[in-house]
Amino acid sequence: MDKSSKYITVALAGSPNVGKSTIFNLLTGLSQHVGNWPGKTVEQKTGICRHGDITLNIIDLPGTYSLTANSLEEQIARDYLIKEKPDVVVAVINAASLERGLYLVAELIELAPRIIIALNMIDVARQQGIKIDIEALSSALDIPVIPVIATRNRGLMELVNQIIAEYERPFEKRLLKHVEYGSSVEKIIDMVAELLTPDIIDPYPRHWAAMKLLEGDEQIKNIVQKSITAEKKPRLETILRANESAALTIATLRFEWVTKLSAVAQEKPPLSRVSLTEKIDRVATHPIWGLIFLATVLAGIFGLVYSIGIPLQNLLEDMLIHRSQEWILSSLFGVPDWLRHLLADGLLGGAGIVLTFIPLLFIFFFVWAMIEDSGYTARAAFVTDRYMHAIGLHGKSMLPLCLGFGCNVPAVFGTRIIDSPRARLLTILLAPLIPCAGRMSVVAIIAAAFFGNHAFLVYWGLLISNLLILLAIGFVLNRFIMHGEEEVLIMELPLYHIPDLRLAGIITWHNLVAFIKRAGTVILLVSLFVWLLSVIPEGNIENSLLAACGRLLEPLGRLIGLNWQMMIALISSFVAKENTIATLGVMLGEGGNGFTNSLSTILTPSGALAFLVLQMLFIPCIATTGAIRSETGTWRWPLFSIALQLIVSFAAAIVVYRVALLIMS
Amino acid sequence: MDTERTQEYLEAIYKRQQDETPVSTSSLAEDLKVSQPAITDMLRSLESRGLINYTPGKGAYLTSLGNEKALGVIRRHRLWERFLTDVLGMEWDKVHDQACLLEHVTSPEVEEKLADLLGNVDTCPHGHSIPDKDGHIKKEDLMPLTEFTLGEKLILIRVNKEDAALLSRLDRLGLQPPAVVRIISKNKNGAIEVEIGSNRIELDRETAIALLARPYKEEKESKAEEMPLSQLLPGQTGVIKAIEGGRGKLGRCFSLGFTPGTRLKMLENYSRGPVLVKLHDTEVALGRKMANHVIVVKDNHGS
Repeated sequence: MDKSSKYITVALAGSPNVGKSTIFNLLTGLSQHVGNWPGKTVEQKTGICRHGDITLNIIDLPGTYSLTANSLEEQIARDYLIKEKPDVVVAVINAASLERGLYLVAELIELAPRIIIALNMIDVARQQGIKIDIEALSSALDIPVIPVIATRNRGLMELVNQIIAEYERPFEKRLLKHVEYGSSVEKIIDMVAELLTPDIIDPYPRHWAAMKLLEGDEQIKNIVQKSITAEKKPRLETILRANESAALTIATLRFEWVTKLSAVAQEKPPLSRVSLTEKIDRVATHPIWGLIFLATVLAGIFGLVYSIGIPLQNLLEDMLIHRSQEWILSSLFGVPDWLRHLLADGLLGGAGIVLTFIPLLFIFFFVWAMIEDSGYTARAAFVTDRYMHAIGLHGKSMLPLCLGFGCNVPAVFGTRIIDSPRARLLTILLAPLIPCAGRMSVVAIIAAAFFGNHAFLVYWGLLISNLLILLAIGFVLNRFIMHGEEEVLIMELPLYHIPDLRLAGIITWHNLVAFIKRAGTVILLVSLFVWLLSVIPEGNIENSLLAACGRLLEPLGRLIGLNWQMMIALISSFVAKENTIATLGVMLGEGGNGFTNSLSTILTPSGALAFLVLQMLFIPCIATTGAIRSETGTWRWPLFSIALQLIVSFAAAIVVYRVALLIMS
Repeated sequence: MDTERTQEYLEAIYKRQQDETPVSTSSLAEDLKVSQPAITDMLRSLESRGLINYTPGKGAYLTSLGNEKALGVIRRHRLWERFLTDVLGMEWDKVHDQACLLEHVTSPEVEEKLADLLGNVDTCPHGHSIPDKDGHIKKEDLMPLTEFTLGEKLILIRVNKEDAALLSRLDRLGLQPPAVVRIISKNKNGAIEVEIGSNRIELDRETAIALLARPYKEEKESKAEEMPLSQLLPGQTGVIKAIEGGRGKLGRCFSLGFTPGTRLKMLENYSRGPVLVKLHDTEVALGRKMANHVIVVKDNHGS
């Protein structure tokens, strides 16, 4: 027997919302590695699953409905299948939407020789009155079908065993039941394929590439146009132009194949029956009730974050940071004075304070992951579509913008789901105006320090006015700056389902690890740098370099009632939004007085309000700026974004400050 | 439950009322094969129970209560006829008499189960509308064959005569609803010649009057109603017929299943916003502009 262990490469393919991530997490546990696809900014998740002496290398392909390059995800998925040739492909299908999944299988069959279907969510399907005859499906396709309930960890063992069995099965050409395109379509495909010699299209299979060309696939078209000879080119173009309807014909034939299969293997209630998801959607997608529902959901999330997160943050700050600071300064003998101050003021006062955001962020990320997993966010996109048209976008832009509530960076990357370049750019420019979790934490803490019982009201007012300003800016940009056509909305609204706690936990964990890394690197460095500037040259902050810098900004700050410390805190938030608190912590935290208490010595309530407005609208942080640069491919747009938000934030802050002075005096 | 005789009377009056009001005692005597004095006695009794209004010498007509009861009897009769032909496979000329017997011994529960079993039928084998359980009956605009013009194509809806010999002859000729026929010629004596399929048939005047029909074209239109997807109302179902417009960015529409032959259901459709449809087991949102380019054929019996 072969002593060396065996490696099997397994690719997980599937549409969005089929529970693919849950299956991936179950198979790989904590061995997973999250990175990017080479040269792409799409997340690539890989992991391993050991079974005896066999190691499964599992690659989670991006979720796609088809393998025609309508989006980057589809391109990545099929390029992987063609170029890397995984040993086994597992097609994850949602049993409650069998036909949708079978369409992808129809395409996978054309590229993957060894394929297994993981039929997930059979419990959900059963609840909906859908019965699937697994034997019939398997024999009709001649593909093994394994029923799985990933949320309850059922069927995963069988899946792993089947993967191994499929890998070890002697290779013989399976009688894969390809879609039959009929002789008339096949003839056209052959005509195109004849022109695609291997030197043009390698490593893509000829027949397949010819079909994709007929389907109007941009990526394949670009490859072919680059390398095809001048004599063949006109012929190819003539054939393609004459067969423009082929794309629809091919898709139609595939869906007919799918419908036939599902008729054989599936028994489902008539289309006219109203499912639970449809019932919920009568409210959730209603033009008015839907908006109220959305507002309630957002209010619920931020209410929860605020009412639980803030007290916990205060507690942590008090119990951990202040106590340790006191201890370092009063009891850590035998250590040079400057080091004690570095530790207490620079390290703990800066990066340490930022770490007290953890409970707050934990609540936000966890609740947010659950809402995403429940299938609701697509409804938010649907219900806001009609209003988004006012700013030249459609509802799909809501999805990345929603991500922005967590962090603006994924929001910018997330705009990739928008097909039209113009709508995408506009969404990218609006994304930094969504208050991220970091900013909301800063706002929550400062609001709590100044406005006592009214703090929640201030927090809310800021959130809502920020969104209104976003709409106004979007409206202006759309009207006067950007031109182009509007894009068609088309997207799936997944079935509602009970969120998977484990999955939400893993997502939260990844987010928190990223946050802690940031606190340990960028934020720590800035804290130490600020501390250093604050003690050079005399060890006294009043005469320090930092103060000198800050005083340069003071004239600007005076317009909104901010002294130089606040201006420094604001500037430091460019590195990371949480730095505002870290910097204030370094500057004000001397002697463990508690920076929240010291804040009131340098800031009036009207100044605080103006500062909060400024903070909410201030320029995108370094990471977001970098993301905008990489997604737009030019420095023009990140610079535009910085200039725009600089002007808007100061203008808004000045207005708020003046009005607040009038009212409060 | 009313006695069998009461039911018979109400049914007979109801049927006669379609042509004459009030219904004379002589007509009833003919239909029910009973002597005139016996009819008069029974009519008095029905009147005292509030089922009819009766004026001696003129005739009788149903009160609203009587009308309701009559429709109940008729419903049971026609459901039984359907059952006998569709389920038991009896000839349509033999079912009337059987149904006459069964209609009087049918409990409301049996009636309901019978209707469930038969599904969505709304006519008896002879083409008469079956009243629904609330006593509503569909009124159709029909004309006897004799009223149509030469060359007109029409669809046979109803045989308005309970005559076993006639029914059996029509069966042999293939003249059962919903047969499509064309009027070829009309004779002076009122007989007409029709074309059915490739056969030509001559019908005497009496038969032609008993056959009720409507123009064929209209039937076709109401069956296959084409419209843009954006005009389908929530809850209605249909089948995609075509996708209009050029290639553009239609790739995603295709791969999400907007292809001819796909059945779908409209879930949400509010003015100006996107539409939400269910197709291939999932809900898909589609912008209104695109929804204008998707042509669907609406199902007729959509909820």
